[in-house]
Amino acid sequence: MFQVISGRSIQVARLLAPRSAVLVEAVRGRKSRTDPVAKSKEGRIKVPPPVDPVEMVVLKERYTEYQLMMRALRLEFKEEVLRKKYEEETGSLAEERARQEAEEHRALMAFNNQENLRMLKLRILRIQKEKEEAERKQVEAAIQREQEQQESIKEKERDILKLQEEAKNFITLENLDQRIEEALDNPKNYNFAIDKEGRVVKQTMLQ
Amino acid sequence: MPMKGRFPIRRTLEYLQKGDIIFKNRVKIMTVNYNTHGELSDGARKFVFFNIPQIQYKNQWLQIMMFKNMTPSPFLKFYLDDGEQVLVDVEGKDHKQISQHVKKILGKSEEVLQAEARAKMQASNPANFGPKKYCLRECICEVEGQVPCPGSTPLPKEMTGKYRAQMAASHE
Repeated sequence: MFQVISGRSIQVARLLAPRSAVLVEAVRGRKSRTDPVAKSKEGRIKVPPPVDPVEMVVLKERYTEYQLMMRALRLEFKEEVLRKKYEEETGSLAEERARQEAEEHRALMAFNNQENLRMLKLRILRIQKEKEEAERKQVEAAIQREQEQQESIKEKERDILKLQEEAKNFITLENLDQRIEEALDNPKNYNFAIDKEGRVVKQTMLQ
Repeated sequence: MPMKGRFPIRRTLEYLQKGDIIFKNRVKIMTVNYNTHGELSDGARKFVFFNIPQIQYKNQWLQIMMFKNMTPSPFLKFYLDDGEQVLVDVEGKDHKQISQHVKKILGKSEEVLQAEARAKMQASNPANFGPKKYCLRECICEVEGQVPCPGSTPLPKEMTGKYRAQMAASHE
């Protein structure tokens, strides 16, 4: 808030001959340039605290020493951290570690490749088996179909033969009279009786 | 409706933290190709269903992509940061076998994990005092039962350096 000035300044303050050689002017921290000076501070001359030259010399010495030591310590610690980091990334140990890791990685990749090859072999076997199965099934299906075809042909032949057999007993225009005569001569009795035990009786009276 | 999905246990923190596959820093992308039907893809399907959440929880920065019904046989592919691609065939394998195999070839080993845990503990020692961002406390005055901060309550006279200096001066 206070600034040391050497040129033009408040004339009153200069006249009153301040205790020290330097004059201090107020820098308005809170108030703006239009605000008036406070009533209690009207004639006030601000001066910085007095400095004892002997004390100042001693203090300066001690301070330089102290700051030197502190700076040295700080830089020392910073350097330690940086060195650690450097060694971590590009030191001899790090190289060793990197090499070891690369080797391990290679070993693991080889192991993985082995696994893959094994799976490949298994897969090839499996696919082969499946193909064979499919072929076998196909062949079997073909045979089955052949057989069924043969069966159906035989059925049909049998039917034809049966029909031919039955054709001998058909009633045709020539047999018509004969068959009518026969039918009238031999009356057939289709009635029958059955009792609770299941015995069939066919000797019923024809009417 | 507190539970969502078929196996809501997959969404619990406990289950996720139980995941033990932590990949090496070199692995950047993981790709799973599997089929939605078929006996051979069953292990891969279970792996995707049960183990992928755990893996993603433990490897937050790993990109995982799933492709369905693109190839006849299922496989995993890992893309490392030096361009290397690692192919893992998982046809017919069980999901436990798959996760064990993957952990063996590309996961961080137990000792590495323990070393990392120890390093982290050293870095985050609760006995350290410092900025709030890195340590628990900044000053001993924050701890219960210790002398309170002189910034909030003034110290008793006997503890101030000013008084002590005065006493020492007057005694000499």
